[in-house]
Amino acid sequence: MSTIPRHLKIGLVMITIAGVISGGYFVGVVGRIRNMVRDPETEANPFVAPAAQLYSSADPPLDVKVFFPSSSGTAILTAEKRRIFKSGELTNQARQILKIVVDGPMTSGLLPTVPKDTKLQGVFLSKDGTLFVDFSSAISINHPGGMVNEQATIYSIVDSLIYNLSDIHQVKILVGGNEQETLAGHFLLLLPLDMDLSITTEEEGTHAN
Amino acid sequence: MLLAGIAGAVLLSPLLMRGADNDLPIYFENSTLVLKTQTVNRISYLPLADIVRQLSLPFTNDTVQEMFTVRGTNSQVVLTRNSAAISVNNQIALLPNPVLHDNGTWLVPYEFLPQGLSRITGTEFRRRAGTPRVFAGAVKPAELTMNAQFQGSLTRLTLRTSTPVTLEMRRETAQHRTILAFVPKVIDPARETLDYKDRLVSSIDFSDSDGMAKIIVETTDEVGDVRILSADENRVHFIDFIRKTEVTGTSQTPAEAPTAAGTASAGKQDPAAAPTGAGAPVTGGIRVIVLDPGHGGTDTGAMTLGVLEKDLTLIIARKLRATLQSRLGATVLLTRDSDVPLTSEARASVANNNQADLFLSLHIGYSANQSDLGSSVYVIKDNFAASLLSGETGRRLFLPWYLGYRPHRPSSVQVAGLASEELSNAFPGWNFPLRNGPVAVLASAAMPAMLLEIGNLANPTSTQALLDNTFQTKLSVTIAAAIERFSAMRPAAK
Repeated sequence: MSTIPRHLKIGLVMITIAGVISGGYFVGVVGRIRNMVRDPETEANPFVAPAAQLYSSADPPLDVKVFFPSSSGTAILTAEKRRIFKSGELTNQARQILKIVVDGPMTSGLLPTVPKDTKLQGVFLSKDGTLFVDFSSAISINHPGGMVNEQATIYSIVDSLIYNLSDIHQVKILVGGNEQETLAGHFLLLLPLDMDLSITTEEEGTHAN
Repeated sequence: MLLAGIAGAVLLSPLLMRGADNDLPIYFENSTLVLKTQTVNRISYLPLADIVRQLSLPFTNDTVQEMFTVRGTNSQVVLTRNSAAISVNNQIALLPNPVLHDNGTWLVPYEFLPQGLSRITGTEFRRRAGTPRVFAGAVKPAELTMNAQFQGSLTRLTLRTSTPVTLEMRRETAQHRTILAFVPKVIDPARETLDYKDRLVSSIDFSDSDGMAKIIVETTDEVGDVRILSADENRVHFIDFIRKTEVTGTSQTPAEAPTAAGTASAGKQDPAAAPTGAGAPVTGGIRVIVLDPGHGGTDTGAMTLGVLEKDLTLIIARKLRATLQSRLGATVLLTRDSDVPLTSEARASVANNNQADLFLSLHIGYSANQSDLGSSVYVIKDNFAASLLSGETGRRLFLPWYLGYRPHRPSSVQVAGLASEELSNAFPGWNFPLRNGPVAVLASAAMPAMLLEIGNLANPTSTQALLDNTFQTKLSVTIAAAIERFSAMRPAAK
């Protein structure tokens, strides 16, 4: 049995060590790349607080008017009486109203205003009373268009919030977390909007949640 | 032979060194002195005696010692022939080039004015490097910038001055030349020549060599009419060189243009926009109309069964353009004349940049209520974006972009009311109620502006009508009638 020269032994040992190190590095890099390309939709966003209860059963009820377009009449929006719960956080009350707007009316003859698959992504209140409402991009992409239609979508949100929650003075609508010029090419969203009751009319129906 | 050649060259050399004479105006507070400069050895020289006489300064011309002395109050400057050194109050100052005394005429380089004459008269002389004019004392020239743009059927020359000026136009038709004289005449142009040429304009040059500031525009024989529009309190002038076939039949000066609003977002006009005017002479106050076919390109707008809002708005806008041209003789521009997307800002910019008297945006409706025939006439919501005023009540240099509508909102409501009335009468059952909202394209339009939403693509009857040629023609005629009524109510073009 021949003996392996000493310098070759040293060389083999060093190559083995280098191989182990580079192999470990490669595995680490691959792992990091996989983490980077992993679909964010499938994982919880660590920056978003866990969904809190919008109200508790002990909270007092609050009757509100939520605005939807009517299949008859000339006014763009008609009020529908609904009920939310007066939780401590103003933004929670706003979220309850926005949920009603997104889900659509319960009265026959009234029509939904928010396009299908739209999600409410966030609600923030600034110190000056401007409520920032962030919807998923479906509110714009799936919008069928039309001036009156677009105005109904915008003001069903704006009027329903400001009419019922007096601490909200203006509403700024965001789309997909960003500012967008318009929803469907007509009404400017770059500035916060005031309530406009001139396009609304008296309530048509009453429903309790 | 060789000697004769050398002798000739020596004799002629002083003449060969001389260049052509040029005129150099010196603007004083109450007068203008135009000097004949002489170029010697590529240096431009000024005739000293003319300057001294203009300033009424006593002087001595010592022809024996070849010295020239100019006296001020308790001061004097002495010049010596062929010497760059001058004596100012017994102190030596060095000019970059020597003083010349040629054929009895004392010639000084320009630097003599600030380095010599200023020190004994107290009058400051200013000259921008490379420019052929001098401003003396407290004279404050209006700074001038020029820009030209070919806009399909006309070439627009835009002149901006730092202070208000009046333009007096003189046309030399036979020479295909238009001269625009400035009043007041003290102008400091950023450039002497605008490097611009197109099928209507051959050259644009500033000239004040005779002390009268003016712009000389050489045109081609295709130019039929030239018109001036003034804006921003006469700080901005638009001079339109209009192609012969596009002339509306009058050479009236247009009505007072609306003040340019908001941000300086100039030049956003769709290149395809074609200003045109033909037919009836302009009779009312509406001379320039900008039509805005809604949506375009990837932004299709509302749609139903292959019918796209962007296509219908363009078809109707083109028909309306032809109708307005023939009925009103107005110049009609489209924000887009092809299938391209535009932002709301770009659309309003076309109207603002062209000093439109009316802006009309065209849209097709899509109502959640399918039985509705749709249709609305929109104006901008009253007091929209008022928070941008931030409590300022004084005069502002610039109006915030989204407040461009404010001075013109009453007129917008007026023309929208007329459109609503005419359309409701012409199309019974369709209803064209007057509505308002934060309409993006109307917020920044600094002129009477409205938006028409016609029909309802969710309603098959309405869609069928919108596709019908007869309906489209009737629609155009009705809208034009409303604009005609509005035009008659406006002050006629001056």
